[in-house]
Amino acid sequence: MALTVENLRRVYDGFVAVDDLSFAVAPGEIVGLIGPNGAGKTTSLRALAGILRPTAGRIQIDGHDIVADAIEAKRRLAFMPDEPHLFEYLTVEEHLRLVARLYTVDDFDVRARALVEELELTGKEKALPGELSRGMRQKVVIACGLVRNATTLLFDEPLTGLDPIGIRRMRETIVGRARAGAAILLSSHLLHLVEEVCSRVIIMAAGRKVADGTCAELASRADLATAGSNLEQIFMRVTGHD
Amino acid sequence: MISASLYIVTCSAKNRVRRRVARLREPRYLVGAIVGAAYIYFSFFARARGQRAAAARRRNAPPGADAASAALVAAGPALVSMGFLMLATIAWVLPFDSGLLEFSEAETNLLFPAPVTRRQLLLHRLMRSQGGILFGSIIVAIASPVGGWMRFRLSIATWLLFVTMRVYFTAVTLSRNAGRTGAARTVAWLPFGAFIAATGVVMTALVRAWRMMPVQNLPDALSGVGDVALHGVSSVVLWPFLALARPLFAPTLTSFAVDVGAAFVVLGITIAWMLRRDEAFQESAAVASARRAEKAQARRGTSVRARATGLSLSLTGRPEPAFFWKNGVQTLRLAGISAIRIGMAVLGVCGAAVSVAVNTFHLRGAAAAGCAVAMAVATFTAILGPQIVRTDLRSDLVHLELLKTWPVRAGAVIRGEMAWPALMLTAIGWMAIALAAALSPAAFPRIAPATRMTIAASMALLMPAFVFVQYLVQNAAALAFPAWVPQGNQRPRGVDAIGQRLIMLTGVLLLAAVLMIPGAVGGGAIFLALSRWTGVVGVVPAALVCTAIVLLEVLVGSELLGPLYERLDILAVERTE
Repeated sequence: MALTVENLRRVYDGFVAVDDLSFAVAPGEIVGLIGPNGAGKTTSLRALAGILRPTAGRIQIDGHDIVADAIEAKRRLAFMPDEPHLFEYLTVEEHLRLVARLYTVDDFDVRARALVEELELTGKEKALPGELSRGMRQKVVIACGLVRNATTLLFDEPLTGLDPIGIRRMRETIVGRARAGAAILLSSHLLHLVEEVCSRVIIMAAGRKVADGTCAELASRADLATAGSNLEQIFMRVTGHD
Repeated sequence: MISASLYIVTCSAKNRVRRRVARLREPRYLVGAIVGAAYIYFSFFARARGQRAAAARRRNAPPGADAASAALVAAGPALVSMGFLMLATIAWVLPFDSGLLEFSEAETNLLFPAPVTRRQLLLHRLMRSQGGILFGSIIVAIASPVGGWMRFRLSIATWLLFVTMRVYFTAVTLSRNAGRTGAARTVAWLPFGAFIAATGVVMTALVRAWRMMPVQNLPDALSGVGDVALHGVSSVVLWPFLALARPLFAPTLTSFAVDVGAAFVVLGITIAWMLRRDEAFQESAAVASARRAEKAQARRGTSVRARATGLSLSLTGRPEPAFFWKNGVQTLRLAGISAIRIGMAVLGVCGAAVSVAVNTFHLRGAAAAGCAVAMAVATFTAILGPQIVRTDLRSDLVHLELLKTWPVRAGAVIRGEMAWPALMLTAIGWMAIALAAALSPAAFPRIAPATRMTIAASMALLMPAFVFVQYLVQNAAALAFPAWVPQGNQRPRGVDAIGQRLIMLTGVLLLAAVLMIPGAVGGGAIFLALSRWTGVVGVVPAALVCTAIVLLEVLVGSELLGPLYERLDILAVERTE
């Protein structure tokens, strides 16, 4: 497994944000992580990315523990957060170059050129983040994540701020990376996107995993059989909103 | 709308106070508040007490001892009113920023589409601005050397003055933007013509008065000013300004009440004029809001241009140079903005230092003064530079979420982050020392050239030690107490924030001094061992050893700080209000 999570727990000042979360993502698999606001999705992703230390539990990227062997684990990981945090004084090109240096990317020029084209950033290479729209900044964050050969990709709301063309391109990008062998965990509120691109779905509520499986598997679950067959109906039933 | 404005003002104030009080439950805010309150007390109240004592001493001085001061006080209202007239006239040519037209984004989105008139919006902004104006008035009263009820009266007088000025500047802005057609534009600019004429009348009267009674000294000149303001046509044109100035100088409660009444009449007329000029409100508010947005952008650093820096980053190698490059690019792109701020601070301190040096050591000549300036710059750079140049982990706490995902060892992050600012300050310090050494023959002619060069070389060798050790401590403090370190360009407000900054500054300087001790001991030992043969030149190897020891400490310290960085939780980093 490229990504393994075992009994992850994260507590903030007595509040349990994530509790006993376990799952795995195999290479080439796209797993959707969905849940209502405050379900613990972003906290989970931040813990997986090494930003937050787990209160308990274990996270492994290609067999490397994110706490005990952080450098090797992070080297294999790319996290694309929902809020595009960029350095205000570095251009798009300089961001990519900095990442390439830190992750040791050999064929940087070729990869960077291809990525800039793929993500429609052509002509914006010399622009600072302050000169870009939110959608463009989101693309830069994604480009920084994709410029190296990460085996595990974590996307947190990757389509926020993108126009319809950008959304379509991004969908193709995510699917393309999975076909190339990357393990992908995708958190989104856009259930139709999750249903369309994900091979499996994890539903979280109140910090815990409440469902895990393909849409067909979830639809056939005894307690969800009457909910309906699409992901939205399943989601509403699982989270108690139907 | 008035009740809605009052609701916004009171709710915002109440919630701000509640939030500030609630956070005092946390020890860091409580301690900060105690220290901040003590600082404010000793800075204002204790000093004000000293000033009152000095004023009392002056009152007890023999009559006629300070005739100029007495004349100055007597002519106060006249002088201030003439100053106001000048200001009011200049405001038409160089408009001042009143702030009343700068609506926040929330106000623009919620109030502009609401069914309220432009005048109501202006009154709303006037009400919202009262908090800041009242605070400013209270500070003026506290800092003044008067006491008791006089202080209260001064506060009211200052408040009236500030409010009237703000309303007036807004009215000027609205008038300047009013009327596209010739006739409307002429009407809007009529007051400017009136102020020019008033200025002419007062200036003519002044010149005539001084010509009729030749000025021998300052009291004579001030007496002429008083006569002009109180008699003839000039007293009529100056009346609104005198009405605003008089409450500041009213000797009795009765005269104060009368003067305040007159000042309120002026304020009322100014508000009415501002409200009548509301046709240019939208355009003026849009311009002001755009300016506000630009300022906010500049504070965030997003208005910087992507100009070439001359720094390049290779694609292979250790991570530290990557941080060095990143911070270098940031500094060079920001230089236009921050260099001015830092340069001004340096100039201020250096100017004071040069003044002290010139008087204390009787330094003469441009070269001597230049030497003193260079020495002051070097000292300032070594001691206060790392407090000011924050292009290290402190400014990057805002990007902690990104930094934490990078496969870089914590020690390398810390070293890389402080490398650029520390080397930049070291270079500035070296340049200043080199300049001081070059100019030192003029400043210190009695000191032998060899001794002067020895001191300069030692200082140059010690410079990186001073700078790097402070950066180590600053970054350690940022990791240990991230909530006390402002993020990026943010400046937390409140008494507790003032206290936190003071505690941090003191702690950092103390710890840096402690970390210098091993280096000082090692260097001292070398000097003692060598001085018998080398004399004063032994200071140079001593400084070299001291710096080597301190830099080793910095290297080891950056590794020891690793676990702190690893454990640093992004939720511990304070979000400023």
